[in-house]
Parts: sequence; C-alpha cells; structure tokens
Amino acid sequence: MIISIVYLVISLVLEVIMSNYFSSTLTNVSLFSTIYTIVGLAILYPYFNNDKKYYLLVVLCGIIFDMVYTSTFMFNLIVFFIVGILIKILYNVFPENIFMSNLISFISILIYHLICFILLNIFSGVSYDFMILVNIILGSIIMTIIYTTISYFIIKFIFNKFGIKYVK
Amino acid sequence: MLGKKKKIPKKFIIVGIIIIIIIIIIILSFSLKKDRKLNPVFSFVRDGVLSVEKVITYPFVFVKNKISDYNELKDIQKDNDILKTSIDRIDSVEAENVELRRQLEALKSELNIDYTLSDYDYLNATVISRNVGYWFNIITIDKGSYSGVEKDMVVINAKGLIGKVIRTTSFTSDVRLITTSDTNNKISVSISNGSDNLYGLINSFDYSDNYLEVEGISNTKNVSIGDRVYTSGLGGIFPSGILIGEVSDITTDSYDLAKLIKVSPSVDFNDINYVSVLKRKSAEDDN
Repeated sequence: MIISIVYLVISLVLEVIMSNYFSSTLTNVSLFSTIYTIVGLAILYPYFNNDKKYYLLVVLCGIIFDMVYTSTFMFNLIVFFIVGILIKILYNVFPENIFMSNLISFISILIYHLICFILLNIFSGVSYDFMILVNIILGSIIMTIIYTTISYFIIKFIFNKFGIKYVK
Repeated sequence: MLGKKKKIPKKFIIVGIIIIIIIIIIILSFSLKKDRKLNPVFSFVRDGVLSVEKVITYPFVFVKNKISDYNELKDIQKDNDILKTSIDRIDSVEAENVELRRQLEALKSELNIDYTLSDYDYLNATVISRNVGYWFNIITIDKGSYSGVEKDMVVINAKGLIGKVIRTTSFTSDVRLITTSDTNNKISVSISNGSDNLYGLINSFDYSDNYLEVEGISNTKNVSIGDRVYTSGLGGIFPSGILIGEVSDITTDSYDLAKLIKVSPSVDFNDINYVSVLKRKSAEDDN
C-alpha cells in the first residue's frame, strides 16, 4: 500500500512539474501532456486484491485534485470514481501486459476528458468546442504511452523486489 | 429460507438511482459555480499542499528558467542593436512623459478628481501551478489574501492582460485567463485607431482560431487591422489602458449594423511565469 501511495504522490507532483515544462492552454495544447494521476491509477489496479482499498485511493486522489488543482467540490472525486470503475471493467476484459496497460491508460484519459467535457458544458456556463476535446485527447497520446511504459516496468520491478504480489 | 438474501424490489433500485443522479447534479451545479467561496479547511489544505509542492518543484522551475535564459542570450546581440537605436529617443520621451504627468496632475487638481480609471498598485507574483487537468483554464499564483489579493483583481504581465482573480486562499490565488469563452465574463474595451477611441465589449473567445471577439462597435466607425485594443476602465473591474491585443480581422454582423472584430491576444498564455496583480486605487485609498 505504501508503494502505491508513494507512486501516486509522485504522479500528483508530476502534474505541476510537467505543467511548467510543457505548459498548455485550451487554445494551444501541448503534445506532451497527460493526467499522470489517472495513468498511475490505471497502472496500479492489477496489484490490488482489495477493491475497497483501491477505490479509497481513487477517491483520495479525486479529493486532492479538487482541493489543490481545480478548486472544485467533489467534481474530480466523481470523475475519478467513474474512471476507477472503468479501469476495473477494462482489466476484467483485457489481459494484463504492457500493451494492454498502455491501452487502458489511454482509454482512462480519454474517458476523463470526455466526462469533463460533457459535465462542464452542461454545468459551468462555459461552452467548449468538440475540437478542443479531440485536440486534448490527441495531445495526451505520447506522454500517456511514455509514462505508462516507464511506470509499468518500475512498479513491476519494485513489487517483485519486495516480494509483494498484491496489495491485500 | 433463513440463509437466503432478501431481494431489493426493482422500483427501490430505480428510485435510488434517480436520487443519486439528482444529488450528483446538485453537487456539480454547486461545485462549478464561479463565485463559490472556499471554506477554511479547503483553503488550509490547499495552502499546505501547494507550499510543499512549491518547494519540491523549485529546482525544476529553476532549471527551466535557466534554459529559457540561455535561449534568450542567443538573441541578445540582435536585441542590443535594436535597443541602441531606440535608446537615443528615451530622453525626449521621458521629458515628454514628465510634462504630461505634470499636466495630468494639474488638471486633476483643477477638476477636483481624486483618482482616475488608470490609477492602480502593483503586486508581483509567481505562477506556481497552471491549468492542471486542462478544462478549468486557470493558473495559480503564490500570493493570496494575506498579501492583499482579493476576488476580481486584475492580473497582467509585461505583454498585457492575463485575467482576473476568481478565488483566493491565504497564500494562493486562482486566476481565470481571458481566453475563456465565458458569457458572464465580458470585458469593456477601447480600440485606439490613432485619433479616436472606440468602445466595445469582448464577447467570447474562439478556441479554434485563438482570438477574442469584440462586438458593439458601429459599422460607421473606422477600425483597421493592427489597431491596438486596451481595457476601457468601464465596468468597474478592469483598470483602463491595459493592452489586450491587436485587431486581426474585421467583419460585420448579420444586419450589417455593427462590426465584429477579432483580436489576437498580446500575451503568450503558454509562457506565463511571473505576473502582477493590479489593485485599482479609489478615492478612499488615497485618503
């Protein structure tokens, strides 16, 4: 559990560090951007034997995102929870390997942005063009693959080194 | 019969789902309200986490700044030549400036005006977090209510208007960028076409072509491509005279009565590191 928490904290800090290097706005989407925390949650799921603990981490990440990055109340909590359920469903459908992890990470990012797009268009009073969503999703591909691949091997190595098969 | 689980009737499940959906809708409507105030616990946690993150990210930001400094150094010879030619004019411009300021002060005292729409104080701040999660189009700066930052204060950098403060905690503030297509966020602007100032409103932002749309200017008025667009100071939030951008395209509305003007923002919103928060002076401040 501690390894998972440390990895998610690193992912949360990476959001800020990388936004300084590859800063992007809705009008000028960087080709090297992703939601590192979502990728982290997607990578960690196969190591959880206990769904309750996994969803606790998902909810905590959503709350931190709400409090620190977007100043919203329960918005990211709801979105992260939906993405968490989706990750579980996808891992039940696909086998766990490097290619499928990359695919699941990308689908999770896609769903996160899609839900944000729909909810913000309905509730925030700001109208976002569909092409913005397309640009953001396309801009997320490269960094999602890079971060997923690196994380996949590092997490696998650490769990193997400490002889941990699952978080119970 | 004893060990058998009780089945929940279908109608209760449907009612439960409807109640959950209604609760989520209420939460989201509240959560995404723009003038929502942050509660003290929320502010405290946010300040704490962002302070820790600021320390962790400092080395990375330092390296990034050094790289951009180095890139700027490469062009320094060219910049130096341009500056040399313009430096000769500085003395005369400065003298003219002093004279204009003296005249302005004289006129203000003559007319008994305590302040103008262009009087404001500066508060410098550093960007500590930008647009994480994309959709909210906000940056976070390292100055908050403890430094005197308040909601609706205007934020600029050397190139022009960036946005306005939408939320503050004790040590941080969220700034909504002007590149947000928010129908409640209209900015009164003036377009300087040499001799005249024309007044209009920024109505929306076009995300696909990256321009602000100004409306409310009569079709009989002359506006040219390249004219500069400033805040007019009307409306009570933005002080006057802050550069917003340049006119890049002019069309007319469907009735051929008013101009629709596209304005390219002067600020590169992907490259904002340091900003200034403006606090408009009022008569009470001076007193």
